[in-house]
Amino acid sequence: MSQRIYISGLGIISAIGNNVEETFHSLSQARSGIGKINHLTTRYRDEFLAGEVKLSNAELADLVNDHNPQLNRNSYLAMKAAKEALVNAGIDPKDGMRTGVISSTTVAGMGKTELYYKDMVEKGTHLEVLDTHDCGDSTERIADYLGHVDYITTISTACSSAANAIMLGCRMIKQGLLDRAVVGGVDALSKFTFNGFNTLMILDREWCRPFDDTRTGLNLGEAAAFLVIEGEEALRKRGGKALAEIVGYANTNDAYHQTASSPEGFGATLAIKQALAMSGLQPSQIDYINMHGTGTPNNDLSEGTATIAVFGDKVPRFSSTKAFTGHTLAAAASVEAVFSVLSLQHNLIFPNLNFKTPMKEFNLVPETTLVQTPINTVLSNSFGFGGNCSSLIFKKA
Amino acid sequence: MNKAYINGTGCISPQHTADDAWFFDRIVAPDTDFMQAIEPSYKEYISPNLLRRMGRAIKMGVASANMALQQAQLTAVDAIATGTGLGCFEDSERFLMAMLNNEEQFLTPTSFIQSTHNTVGSQIALILKCHDYNFTYVHRGFSFESALMDAMMWFSEGKETILIGGIEEHTPCYVELNRNAGKLKNPGNIPLWKQHTTGYQIGEGGAFFAVSQHKTIHSRSVIEGVNTLYKPETPGDIMKKMHAFLERHALALQDISLVLMGFSGHSLHDKKLQEILPDLCETNQVGHYKHLCGEYHTASAFATFAANRMIEKQEIPEIVKINHKPGEGVKHILIINQYLDINYSFILVGQC
Repeated sequence: MSQRIYISGLGIISAIGNNVEETFHSLSQARSGIGKINHLTTRYRDEFLAGEVKLSNAELADLVNDHNPQLNRNSYLAMKAAKEALVNAGIDPKDGMRTGVISSTTVAGMGKTELYYKDMVEKGTHLEVLDTHDCGDSTERIADYLGHVDYITTISTACSSAANAIMLGCRMIKQGLLDRAVVGGVDALSKFTFNGFNTLMILDREWCRPFDDTRTGLNLGEAAAFLVIEGEEALRKRGGKALAEIVGYANTNDAYHQTASSPEGFGATLAIKQALAMSGLQPSQIDYINMHGTGTPNNDLSEGTATIAVFGDKVPRFSSTKAFTGHTLAAAASVEAVFSVLSLQHNLIFPNLNFKTPMKEFNLVPETTLVQTPINTVLSNSFGFGGNCSSLIFKKA
Repeated sequence: MNKAYINGTGCISPQHTADDAWFFDRIVAPDTDFMQAIEPSYKEYISPNLLRRMGRAIKMGVASANMALQQAQLTAVDAIATGTGLGCFEDSERFLMAMLNNEEQFLTPTSFIQSTHNTVGSQIALILKCHDYNFTYVHRGFSFESALMDAMMWFSEGKETILIGGIEEHTPCYVELNRNAGKLKNPGNIPLWKQHTTGYQIGEGGAFFAVSQHKTIHSRSVIEGVNTLYKPETPGDIMKKMHAFLERHALALQDISLVLMGFSGHSLHDKKLQEILPDLCETNQVGHYKHLCGEYHTASAFATFAANRMIEKQEIPEIVKINHKPGEGVKHILIINQYLDINYSFILVGQC
């Protein structure tokens, strides 16, 4: 149970880049990927902004070099990012070590189902879409694309999903069930989720403004991001290079409301405290917090309150990077895990874009420009519908 | 991973499982391609103001979770892990159809809120005020197995009582689409393990278990192990993995009182199980169960429920038997499940 867990590979595709290098460039240049909707078909195309991946499905198919008609946008994104992570780690999945694929998604195949469901019901056509509707589909596409897997599963806990995939991977390695795992999440944009969030009236029509007093909601985004995590023994054995260490994680439930967070941030406070306890770090030893910070009035108030509950008047430097990518739902925690590792590697804090006015309720001011400072530890939070709260702590390797 | 002692069960299925009776004596065998769950009066398990808004999957999940807790005499648990292949499909479909029919206008959030896959797990957390660990697994025929494995991992990490379950609901429209796609059939009078045609009888239901790390006065049986196997290439691969799995638990095939197999009736999906069946019948009492619950993502949760019942009563009912081997007592039941010939799993349930 004492085995340490290292991150040895990163892969990401989001609105700010198709790979880690492009992503880092956009983050360093404070260049947001949120803009006018181009690929998603919706009547709200001109009314709302979104963080779309800047490639069509056909271009994505070329990118992963797989033109199987049963692949959907979720699978393309997942395959692309998972492969990058594995290549980055320099791992051959067939080298005899036990490899897991643990992914997460909320939208799954809905992006395709919504295009054809009426035809399926009324005309009896496109029934093959049934086979790719479920959450397991994109995960199995990853496994088959990578060529070998010893364990596979998929998690769906709304906007905290990928944090939980990372956590499960860590636990399985520590228990000796796996040597390493490809962990993360994916969510492509769909009309279904777009309309769902719109009915909840938590979409901002302007650029989202996390932790700003004038914030009115989030921008949706789409992404896939995966990490290769390895136990120290497996990493040493193959002579791999650690990019960062995962030293703390926790999953709690707010148990307050199906969609809203408690005003006092009960579940969030608990998750941060438990992750800190596992890491053995004092609150004062956290150098940077990558906040969930969606830009909804409810989340940022609840998360800010929880942050103060844990850190008191010594809140570490923090920012939300949602204004770069939009809220990428199930993928958000793995997207931000990649950002956290980049922070550790480059000693940078990426800016909280679009922030101007501090919230009335407390005196929390995020970093609004790129900050170069020694970063040894990063706390990353993710919260979701159903009260799911997850916190992860990364440390310089 | 540690063992998981079953202290309480709750099951809503196409059989009369909602009460605590020996359901094998009054088997329901619908003459259709869809085995619908027999739903109890939910008022006993869920408060009326909550009940009004819940979709069927949520009702089945929350009610069977409550049954399991009541039986185990628990009002709190240290973690909740649920598995579901399609989640709250009724709510998803309702929101989807409203969106498509009204061209994205005049929508209300209720069905969207309830459409998320983790709704059942989070509703249980809300009702129990459980602030602890809460996971929802959504991987096809591994959904329940993942939740079970999670609990068994937690037991070696120190948690004491955990609620796990599997839930699946099917809407009339979803069944119709699958029917039109040629996926379903009424298996008729031919036993599922003997079928030569494609298609399966689709089923649904919810099964929850209150499990603990240590044996309690409420313990009924014990889940000794779980293992998943993704896309095995040959029947030999399954046998090899099965032997290795038993060995890890210091058991051999001769120690297994019943091998309970997940034949779905779909001849292509069942092909590998059909090939290992003769050998297993030589050595063991073999049975099957999907003629009782139908085929669905979390059918193995029903199998686990059924195995627990058989161990409690120390009886293997005729209705599940494929062959007849004289044996003494019901000590260990090995469930071998397959889903779409993609997801294979072993679950070992034993006497405690």
